[in-house]
Amino acid sequence: MPLTDKPGASEEMISVLIGRWAVASAPKLMRTLLGSCVGVVLYDRLGKIGGMAHIVLPSSRGSTDQPGKYADTAIPGLIEEMERTAGRKLRTRLSAKIFGGASMFQGGASIDIGRSNQTAVEQILADLGVAVIARDMGGETGRRLTFSTVTGIVAVRIPGGADYEL
Amino acid sequence: MDPTLTDNQKRLLGAIFGRGAGDASGAVSRWLGRPVTVTVSAVKQVDLAEAAEILGPSDTLVAACPMELMGALTGQIILVFEDRSGLATVDLLLHQPIGTTTEWGELEQSAARETANIVGCAYLNSLAAHLPILESPSSSLAGGSLLPGPPGFRHEFAASLLEFALMDQAIRSDRLLVVNSTFAIEETRLDWSLLFVPSGASLEALHACLESA
Repeated sequence: MPLTDKPGASEEMISVLIGRWAVASAPKLMRTLLGSCVGVVLYDRLGKIGGMAHIVLPSSRGSTDQPGKYADTAIPGLIEEMERTAGRKLRTRLSAKIFGGASMFQGGASIDIGRSNQTAVEQILADLGVAVIARDMGGETGRRLTFSTVTGIVAVRIPGGADYEL
Repeated sequence: MDPTLTDNQKRLLGAIFGRGAGDASGAVSRWLGRPVTVTVSAVKQVDLAEAAEILGPSDTLVAACPMELMGALTGQIILVFEDRSGLATVDLLLHQPIGTTTEWGELEQSAARETANIVGCAYLNSLAAHLPILESPSSSLAGGSLLPGPPGFRHEFAASLLEFALMDQAIRSDRLLVVNSTFAIEETRLDWSLLFVPSGASLEALHACLESA
């Protein structure tokens, strides 16, 4: 079943803002808009619990003010919240899909940040034992993600391009 | 250094940008052949989530003409059209009924880029003349000029565009500075915005210089 722009009555849409994360159980949908940031989507297929983080920078360097902004604080925080929601440890059941890291401006900070974010996210997920099963990274345009906690599918829309699903 | 501007510093910046908006009004009026008023609507220093909504709902599709800012201050100056408003602007420029243009072809993109070039250059020339940090001998930016790069054209989600533009500041600070100017033709607001987004380094330089102004 393709994901649509307009959720049904039972499919509440949760918007994940930049530098934040969110956790939801089926049948909710989650959405975020990415540019050079990286979107991390975690899914527990058995429990149908999903999580999405919109990560801005690779490392918090010890800062605790905005844990959702940094890969090294957002990913562990997201997993903890998913485990609280499930009431059990989930790490071995989770799979990850990662998106974003595009660069619009030639030579701008976003090129390096996009790559650094991807490297950090992949390393942290590997350290936590979470398999990355899909990647849609780089390019020059933003992405709109719509994630179904029912199916685990992420629909991607890019401006002027065809929609696709991962 | 935390480059958070005080309200007074933001007011001062707003007044300086107001002069730039006045000069941009004249330039864009001549270009469109109609009286256009450009107004500084906001000098905002906001967190990331708030910044992403400056152009309206995050998934609004916009046509954006970014120009890299070079010289004494670096960053981006971006003319942003809500999609339909941008296409209507092309109709105005081509002297054809509004609604004739329905997509961004090569000619339409070129018209948008030229509009951005005219507005951006008028704005920057005025800023270069009035920014005290470019005049003060004690300023690290003294004697510098403000140069726009050639305008590009992007069709983009509003939030993604802002994310790209603000990333350099986000590396250094949790509070991001955006100066937004809006446009009107004869009292009717156009869905255009001119965004001035300094780089992280330029934000720190602006902060330091405005502190001593």
